[in-house]
Amino acid sequence: MFVLVIGGGKVGYYLTKELIGSGHEVVLMEKDRDRATQIADEIGSVVISHDGCEGKYLAEAGANRADIVAAVTGDDEDNLVICQMAKHHFDVPKTIARVNNPKNEALFKHLGVDELISPTRMILGSIEQDIPVHELLHLAALGEGELELIEAHLQAGSPAIGKAPKDLTMPDNCSLFAVIRDGKATPLRADTVLEEGDKVIAIGKAECEAGLHEQLIGSQEPAAVG
Amino acid sequence: MPSEPTTGPSFKRAVVALSGHPNGQRLVRLVGELAKAHKAEVIGVHVVEIDWSMPLDMDLAARSDEIQQILDMAEGTAESVGVKLESVLLQARDVGAALVDEAVERDADLLVIGLAYRTKFGGDFAMGRTIPYVLKNAPCAVWVVREPIPEENS
Repeated sequence: MFVLVIGGGKVGYYLTKELIGSGHEVVLMEKDRDRATQIADEIGSVVISHDGCEGKYLAEAGANRADIVAAVTGDDEDNLVICQMAKHHFDVPKTIARVNNPKNEALFKHLGVDELISPTRMILGSIEQDIPVHELLHLAALGEGELELIEAHLQAGSPAIGKAPKDLTMPDNCSLFAVIRDGKATPLRADTVLEEGDKVIAIGKAECEAGLHEQLIGSQEPAAVG
Repeated sequence: MPSEPTTGPSFKRAVVALSGHPNGQRLVRLVGELAKAHKAEVIGVHVVEIDWSMPLDMDLAARSDEIQQILDMAEGTAESVGVKLESVLLQARDVGAALVDEAVERDADLLVIGLAYRTKFGGDFAMGRTIPYVLKNAPCAVWVVREPIPEENS
């Protein structure tokens, strides 16, 4: 497989090294000449010292025959431009972008980037699983990124305790579908009475978050998630 | 006690870069004469640089005559000084890296590369990127043989 990696930071460097080790053909593009030279000295002549945001340099690097383009610079705007050029100008079958600001994820998806890697989101997700940073926990993005899988931890004072889903006024485009109680996950029926300590799993659009928070956690303004 | 006359620095196996430049004949003759004196092997390597937009194993049929001419010239020149030259054709992304890899693989103790005299935009004398790479990375001895400066520039 021929992989074009753009961005010679830590991620790009180790990614290139691992791919070469796995027997793939790889080219790494890094616009900083000194950094490019440093990497080339370590891993060989697979480094091109040019800006991957420019089409002519992407062509020079072989984007026309790349199976995958991975844009892993530290700059979201650059990663988006690179993936768009790779996808629409060079017909690259798969584009992967590093997204540093999770707020850009929807835009990247909307503009056709095939796969997003968000270190910020991953770290946040990992922290949230151990420490409830937010009362509503985002578990995953679904489909094209429009829907989210959300967990609500019902703690003392939650208006949902003692009520069943049929008694709650859920926002449009949002539904509750499972409850985790005593470590067991069960489908949430319309008449299941919610208890303190339950973790309720919901699917909904991002804009439902405020309504979901009000129904399951309380009327306090939801903290920004992500 | 005076030392015995020598026939130049000794080597056992030399890799000679064949770029296709007219200076190549001078290069092969020089190495051939020294190799003959030391009963050393000579390997002539021509590297075709393939840019990343093409697969590395692309068909070179369109350039086969030109390539064959380069290899034949090297073999013929070596033969004329009484040495057998093994010619090798490589396709690589980078000429310098390919030459160094070949020298390492062949366990060569000498890598010889020619340098055409040319100035960059009429200014400084230009080394290009292959020679600096070879000088920096080849583990064996490296000889850089520069062609004479053309009369109008001297």
